[in-house]
Amino acid sequence: MQKAYKLSILYFLLFSLLLISSAVMLFEHKIGFSFNGVLEYYIGNEEKFIPAKNSSAILKLILPHIFVFGLFIMVLMHFLVFTQHRDKKSTIFLIYLTFITAILELSTPFFIIEGFEFFVYLKILSFFLFLALIVYISWLLLHSIVYK
Amino acid sequence: MRFTLINNIQKDSAMSLILKGFLTFIFVYLAADILVMKSGFGISAESVNITLFGDEENYIDPITESSFLEFWHTQIFFIMMILLTLNAIFIRVASSARILLTNLLMISSILSLVSLPLAFYISATFVNIFIATFFIWHGVAAYMIIYSFWKLNAKSV
Repeated sequence: MQKAYKLSILYFLLFSLLLISSAVMLFEHKIGFSFNGVLEYYIGNEEKFIPAKNSSAILKLILPHIFVFGLFIMVLMHFLVFTQHRDKKSTIFLIYLTFITAILELSTPFFIIEGFEFFVYLKILSFFLFLALIVYISWLLLHSIVYK
Repeated sequence: MRFTLINNIQKDSAMSLILKGFLTFIFVYLAADILVMKSGFGISAESVNITLFGDEENYIDPITESSFLEFWHTQIFFIMMILLTLNAIFIRVASSARILLTNLLMISSILSLVSLPLAFYISATFVNIFIATFFIWHGVAAYMIIYSFWKLNAKSV
């Protein structure tokens, strides 16, 4: 791979970290990472004047994220094709895991508003797992570009 | 990004046309971005300060933290995707100063994005860095678009 392309990918990874940081800050500010914080954000709390979300409000919120998650994962993961990780079974597993985690992250709010409180844990877990996977993939790319 | 693998883009008339169309759209996006920023967030130190911190004399409320974070989050995604694709085309067609301009474009845009929360949470002086780097990366991106367009019209790339 040309040096200029490597440089471009390195900057893309930096942007990705910035995107993750902003996502964490936004989640922490709007929802919070506690069980009650997530539950109240979706099912509401009259004492705290937090309105309950309905399915159309959630759909409106996740609509751009459906496209963005897919595009972002595709762009980030397709760089792996240019590295030594291309034909590894672990890469296939990583691709499946990242897409499934993204789907879980997007879909869990629907289950939360239906009263399945267990999905609050899944929402928090999938959020952090998704970010962790992005960081891990970024690390794989960084290592491949810098050290190989 | 198949165009990165084609030996001579100029000879591939379809791919060349697609890239020129795409470059036109990025150029329009950049112009529209400046206009939207001007009417919304502000592109001068004074207007950005008013957006971020409000203006008591004119009864203008500061932007809420939630709105600010949403704006910042969206900006990061759009800028990263636009600059990645633009830079990939530029690297493919440019013969010199590729590394220099890539560094200038990316560093200025990242500085622009990082200076926003620093201005909001730490000090208003970062607004000046935001304004300067905002115009630098828009200028460099515009140059890359025009240069790439010109190179795609050249006899060979």
